[in-house]
Amino acid sequence: MSYVDNAQASYEHAIERVPEGVRVYLPILPVMSLVGVFILYPIAQAIYSSFFDKDLLSPAEAEFVGLANYAEIWTSETIHQVLWNTFVWVAVGSIAAIVLGFLMGWLLYEKLPFTSVASAIVLIPWVLPRVVGASIWQFMFGGSQGIINELLVQLGVIDEYIVMLGSTDLSLWPPIVGMIWRLAPLFALLTLTSLQGIDEHLYEAARMDGATPWEQFRYITLPMMRYNLAIGFLLMLIYNIRNFSMVWVMTKGGPGVSSSTLPVMIYRTAFVDFNVGLASALSMLLFVVLLVFSYYYIQVYDKVQGEF
Amino acid sequence: MATDTQDPKSEFRKNQSWLYDTQSGTYVRKSLIGLLTLVVFTYVLFPLYWMVVTAFKTTAEIQQIPPTVFPEDPSLQGFRMVVMSSLQTSGYDAFFEQSFGWEISSAIDIDILTLILNSLKVAVGAGLIALVLGTGAAYVLSQREFRGKNAIMSLLLASLMFPGTAIMVPEWELISTLGLFNTHLALILIYGAMTSPFVVWLMKGFFDDFPDSIVEASRIDQCTPFETFWYVLVPMARNSLIASFIFAFLLAWNELVFALTLLDNSKFTVPPGLLTFVQGFNTQWNVVAAASIIISLPVLAGLAYIQQYFVQGLTGGAVKG
Repeated sequence: MSYVDNAQASYEHAIERVPEGVRVYLPILPVMSLVGVFILYPIAQAIYSSFFDKDLLSPAEAEFVGLANYAEIWTSETIHQVLWNTFVWVAVGSIAAIVLGFLMGWLLYEKLPFTSVASAIVLIPWVLPRVVGASIWQFMFGGSQGIINELLVQLGVIDEYIVMLGSTDLSLWPPIVGMIWRLAPLFALLTLTSLQGIDEHLYEAARMDGATPWEQFRYITLPMMRYNLAIGFLLMLIYNIRNFSMVWVMTKGGPGVSSSTLPVMIYRTAFVDFNVGLASALSMLLFVVLLVFSYYYIQVYDKVQGEF
Repeated sequence: MATDTQDPKSEFRKNQSWLYDTQSGTYVRKSLIGLLTLVVFTYVLFPLYWMVVTAFKTTAEIQQIPPTVFPEDPSLQGFRMVVMSSLQTSGYDAFFEQSFGWEISSAIDIDILTLILNSLKVAVGAGLIALVLGTGAAYVLSQREFRGKNAIMSLLLASLMFPGTAIMVPEWELISTLGLFNTHLALILIYGAMTSPFVVWLMKGFFDDFPDSIVEASRIDQCTPFETFWYVLVPMARNSLIASFIFAFLLAWNELVFALTLLDNSKFTVPPGLLTFVQGFNTQWNVVAAASIIISLPVLAGLAYIQQYFVQGLTGGAVKG
């Protein structure tokens, strides 16, 4: 009897003692406990901590303060600025990434040769380690040697080199540009995949009926892609709102909070100011938004599963 | 639109706009599309080009204003400094000096070798956990009907969305309570938890598409469900399994937030290590670029292998690539 047979025999012996109805859950249990402990439990912990005045370095001396942390979010001007930054970031970043990504996907599908090689190259910004991508952009936007300053001077947009990452007025935008660069390829690939999934005969039939290219796009391409686009849209929102690395590498959220988004603010509150209570309350805010996005994500997902 | 015309082609032509109908329209259209392609792909590719070029510039050339678009004096200085610094920090400099007579000294301080080894340890650990736990769960979720199945699937899908920034503070508290602060085990477990739902969805997609007849045949040959899984499905799922592992590996290789908050400098993986170097005093960008290229290579190798699974993996299987 080989080792495998032996192990299997004892496995079967053990498995038969488990009641029939419970047996099916056994293979799922390890995954669920891992996810439960390291992802779901922390969420509960964050809810709890958000009602306390808690210092990161001396968590034992936490003091119950009720809704004081949430009240601070409600009143603090700094946090309002951060929330506004986050909104701008998500709105601009997502829309730009979607438009650009859609164009890229369409160009890859329709106009460019070597689609599979080209799409692999286009994907590089997305798979590159986050810190690497953000560092490149920091270098390009940064200080006196930045190529982007030189480019803007050459194009006549500005007269001389300006400080971008260290400026209160401008510092929000460079990370958004970097983030669009990272996310657009992902949307492009989604677009390409769903375009490839549409049956050519549909277009042929439409052309026979005299549909113009715009009509073909409007009445065939878009409806056929709607779930994929919806999933792409939600993924853009989710990736944008929970992004940390692009901002943190490029500006650390500063100067002041001029380029801070919610995740960066959570990090700064917890690990720079050591205010765990407020950071937890901010986490709850992020969590609720993510929950809404995820809810719609699952809805769309179920529709896709039902359809195909 | 549709009419009783005898020749659908002529009707089709009549409906076209000026842009499609005339010679000049075609030129306008073609040049617009060409321009668009140029702009879009410059945006995507230029930063990559810039990273590569920067890595091959000398320290003097990096500081030139305005920056040079092509390296005037291509050199491997950046790469050499990364390697030297790593050898020196790891304490191999004496060895090289004695055996080969090489003088190893570097002005910078980035120990990329240790960072890579730490990242490898964490990423392989997390990948294996996700693979082993995820595949079994995926098989059951795909092949059986039972109470709470949809809830479990939705929960797993939702848990893909939260990790990272939304739970970094409570995660820090949890890891401190467990006494795992500043250990690689903490990261292995967290990354395992982050990636196993992903693997579940990806592998479930594979098992769903798996022809029933093969499972049926093995059942007729008196295989237990476990035997069917282990001797029939797993060997046939080889490619999907490798893809799943690579996904989990890449996530762990790239992750910044938990690595930054749960480790000290001494145990850093690649992302926080590079970050510290980038944000350090007087950053030498040719060295950063060289280090970036080195740590991006495994990612690019992985990408080439799993490209066909990419969309499916990213969307948790919702969109089949």
